[in-house]
This record gives sequence, C-alpha cells and structure tokens, in this order.
Amino acid sequence: MIRAAVISNGLGGLHYYFQSNDRVDYRWLEITSDFDPDLEGFDLLVVPNGCDHIALYRIRDKIRSFLDAGKTLFCFDGWFTAWVPGNQWYMDNTRKTIDIRYFKGTDRYDLFSGVDIRSLNFSHGISGWWACGYIDPAPGADVVMFDTWNRPMIVLDETTTNGLMFLTASGPLADATGQTTDDKSSEKDLARFYINLLELAEKKRQYA
Amino acid sequence: MHKIGLVFNGVWSHYAFATAPKYADIYRLIYIHELTDETVDGLEALVVPFQSNQTELGRRRSVIYNLLAHGKKVFVEGDSTADWLDAVWEDRPVNNYWWVTDPHNPPVSETDFDHPVYNGLSKRHSCWHTHGAYVSIPDQAAVIQRKPDGDIITWETRQYGGVLMATTLDPIVEHGVQQITHLDHYVDSLTHWLCGIRPEGRFEVPKERYGIRV
Repeated sequence: MIRAAVISNGLGGLHYYFQSNDRVDYRWLEITSDFDPDLEGFDLLVVPNGCDHIALYRIRDKIRSFLDAGKTLFCFDGWFTAWVPGNQWYMDNTRKTIDIRYFKGTDRYDLFSGVDIRSLNFSHGISGWWACGYIDPAPGADVVMFDTWNRPMIVLDETTTNGLMFLTASGPLADATGQTTDDKSSEKDLARFYINLLELAEKKRQYA
Repeated sequence: MHKIGLVFNGVWSHYAFATAPKYADIYRLIYIHELTDETVDGLEALVVPFQSNQTELGRRRSVIYNLLAHGKKVFVEGDSTADWLDAVWEDRPVNNYWWVTDPHNPPVSETDFDHPVYNGLSKRHSCWHTHGAYVSIPDQAAVIQRKPDGDIITWETRQYGGVLMATTLDPIVEHGVQQITHLDHYVDSLTHWLCGIRPEGRFEVPKERYGIRV
C-alpha cells in the first residue's frame, strides 16, 4: 500500500478529495507558520489544486531529498515559486480557452489507459477548463500531454532526480474529482487517470 | 502606498492578481500566517479571497474584527466558516456553464444595482458563477444578491463598525486565474469602493513574475 502525504493549506472541502482506501493511505500535512514536515516514511507526496507555494518553497530542500531517495511527487497545481526541481510552471493568458485542445504525448507507462482525453478537453461543452498556463519541462522529461500550441500540460520527470515527478499545468486530479467540474464524463475519466497514476506510484514504491 | 491587504494563502491566483502591474500598487499580499494587527495597520481595507486557509482565519479572526472596529472595510469572497464569520455558508454545485446551456438564467436573479460595487455593472458582469450560498447572515446585514431559489449570494453589514461585505462570487481568484475576461469591470468597481482608487489598464502578469524564489 502506498503511504501518501497530502499537503493541506486549509481549503474548505479539501479532505473530501483524498480518502484512504485499499490502494493508498493518506496522511495530511497541515501548513502552519512553522511548517517543517517529516517526509520520512512516505512513498508519495501529493500537492493538490489550490496549494500554498510559499510553504512548499520553504521546504524545497526537503522535497528534493525526498525525491532523491527515489520517492514520488504528484503536483496538480500551478507552482509560481521555484520549488519543483528542474521544471517550472507559468501562467499565460494570451491563448483563448475556446481554442484549447489537449493531445497525448509520450506516455511510456500507458497512463491514458481507459481515459478518454475528450473528457479533459470539454466539461459541459466548454474547453480549456482543466489546466491553466503551461510547464517549462526539465531536459529529458516526458511531455505526457500537450495543447493546441504544443505547450506541455502534463510532465513526467524521472531524469532530474532519482524519484518520479508527475506534474500538471494546474489541472486537478484526485480520487474524487469534483473540484472544478461536475460533468460526469470528466469526473469518471479524471478519476481513472488518477488511479493509473497511483498504480505507477505503487510500481515505483516496489522497485525503489 | 498599498491601500488594500489581500490575505494570501500561497495560492497562485492570489499571487497573480496582487502582483499584476494593474493592481500591484494598490493591493499588498499578507501571508495568512503573518496576518496580525501590525501587518494590516494603515490599510483602508482587507480582502479575504476564495481558497483561503479557513483554519487559520478562525485562529486570527480578531484581526478582521479589530480592523472593522476601526471603521475599515472587509470584503470576503467564496466560502467561509462560522468560526470567523457570524454567518452560515453551505456548499452548492458550481454552475459555470449556464452561459452555454441556459444563457437567459444566470445563477443570480436579484441584484441591488444601487450598491456602489454593482452600480454601473451589467447583469453579465455582476455574476459569472457562485461557490455555495449563505443560509444565515448577521442579524443587521442587508442582502445584495440572491439566487432564484432564495439562497443569499452577497450581503453587507455595518454592525461591526466598518463595512463587512461577503459574497460567494470569486472575483479576485477568477481574475487571477485569467480565464473570465470581463472581470475588470467587477474588480475595478470593487477596488474603487474599497479604497477610492479605480485601477486602469489591462490585466497582465509578466512572465518574470513566475518561478520566483521567496
């Protein structure tokens, strides 16, 4: 079973989205003024949508050590501070959401298995709803999904550290995915996508 | 000289909004874990945005009420808890697609357009989507916006000294997200009401504002 730490910055309803089950045991790390969590004993660090990137920057060295120990990071939020090793997220409002479409890129672990990418493209007929901005990926990292203008939307990086980083351009993923959509197709496919991620994290745990 | 404090939960939309050149001289980010009477001293108003740290707001509620006791303005958007607001907020499904599926029935059906924030706004600019609703508000509060089912979206009261206005709209966060393109109208009107300055220009965040070290 995956031992996962989820960062919480006190958002209302956040705990609903990550419920422990037979695949993963979630523990919450609540951000306080003296936030300095112990990441020992965890296999996976989850940064949910809407997180605190000031607090994460302050523990960046600890996160780097966690990854160098072969562990896994999921970041489903736009990191405007430079705490993610080798990769940087940028917001960009120069593209119209009506023109945004997503395309599969390098998917060496078959993370899109059972996932209809149209569910990420449209929620209630509206496009551009899932992600914001784009990622400037580290050299050698996989661009798992890109958009209309070839901008990286999802990055999988196993080269910058000894661990695994799965990063979205602020696109939410979770066990329950009602955070920014109540479109049933989108909820189903995003939950499927997240389960595929957990299966990858489990393999990483077993072979770390 | 900053006039308005923006309670900052480390969230990127808060950061993008307050550091955009259009607003950077007016709003000052105040990290939630550093929200004290001293850090809000000298401000005309305080904004508590959606996606705030509800636990910490409960711990630091005295800062908000001390500011109100000094006659200042406080604007609260999105959700809240009864730990720091004398009101009851409840979650509701977020309908952010009504303008596609049912464009003649926006989530808000009644708006007091005589209120300074809403005066001059079109119906379209006064509601995009809502995050939950208030089912109970302070005893001397006046309702500014309602949904068709009677749920309260926006209210205001002067019973704490200054003016406390709360809404389940999310103008600051959505403006920071930069996907709804008409929000300058609402946010500029709100900013003017809060501090007497009406921002001008286009909302943009330079690329160099990202990837920062703090």
